[in-house]
Amino acid sequence: MIQPQTLLNVADNSGARKLMCIRVIGAAGNQRYARIGDVIVAVIKDAVPQMPLERSEVIRAVIVRTCKEFKCEDGIIIRYDDNAAVIIDQKGNPKGTRVFGAIAEELRELNFTKIVSLAPEVL
Amino acid sequence: MGGAAISSHGLACAPPAAVPLNPRARRASAAGHRSSPQLLLRSDLPPPAVLCRARSQSSSSSNVNFGRGDDADKLLEDLLKQHGEVVYSSGASPAAEADDDAECLSFAVSLAKAASEIKAADIRVLCVKRLVYWTRFFIILTAFSNAQIDAISSKMRDIGEKQFSKVASGDTKPNSWTLLDFGDVVVHIFLPQQRAFYNLEEFYGNATPIELPFDTQWQ
Repeated sequence: MIQPQTLLNVADNSGARKLMCIRVIGAAGNQRYARIGDVIVAVIKDAVPQMPLERSEVIRAVIVRTCKEFKCEDGIIIRYDDNAAVIIDQKGNPKGTRVFGAIAEELRELNFTKIVSLAPEVL
Repeated sequence: MGGAAISSHGLACAPPAAVPLNPRARRASAAGHRSSPQLLLRSDLPPPAVLCRARSQSSSSSNVNFGRGDDADKLLEDLLKQHGEVVYSSGASPAAEADDDAECLSFAVSLAKAASEIKAADIRVLCVKRLVYWTRFFIILTAFSNAQIDAISSKMRDIGEKQFSKVASGDTKPNSWTLLDFGDVVVHIFLPQQRAFYNLEEFYGNATPIELPFDTQWQ
């Protein structure tokens, strides 16, 4: 359940550390909350120095982990410890080169196979 | 408690015992890979045999006829010898799995061949079946322009649909990293800069490279 003003961790090596969601996009209709696989517009609240991404930059990101339970089609319910997102560009390519932590396989069905193929573990 | 709490730090922090279910095996069965369920079946095999014997013993004790009990044991053993194989072969047989792999491999090689005909460079076919469960083969190749990427992807889609009846998902427009997802075969088409940037070969360094029957252009 990601909504504007939610703080998220960054699950890649793009250089950002913390994001704040400012808009949920990509969801059908006037959806209030974003879940795994939704694209959000976010602002970088904290970044690693000497990296291309800087603080207060507005970017797009895909949510890959949520504290709210995520129910898969096969009945498995997955809940993570944190809210995390992977930064992408306008064409859907990830800004970082590696993704950290476990990633849900549903991202593949939502056409984020690039993120899945960079992840070390797929659930 | 509806959910399985999974540590966000994945490999580093989460001990396997802390996860109450084995999502990899379940997802593998859902994804249609036949290796894991078959292994599960085989590991589950001894308990049914033990159960049969226990039942036979209980039936013999209830009848208080040890001769009959021995007969029943023999009968059950014979039955187990005759039909025990059924338990083994209820899943996919290894031969069927090998056939499945061979079909995917031939598909991957034909895709790589199509790419080399359109002058894609540095074509690598990697067998990632042992590393990730969600696919079997990666094809990584370099193209030098958007037009070339478009040509390669459209030809690959044609081959997939006409010869192997597999429809690709993924990028429809040429991109600096264009990905075609055929299910068991995933094709990554990079521009040279992006290929060096993402460096997928290093990430999947433990994958088995597959020799291609033609020369790839090394640049």
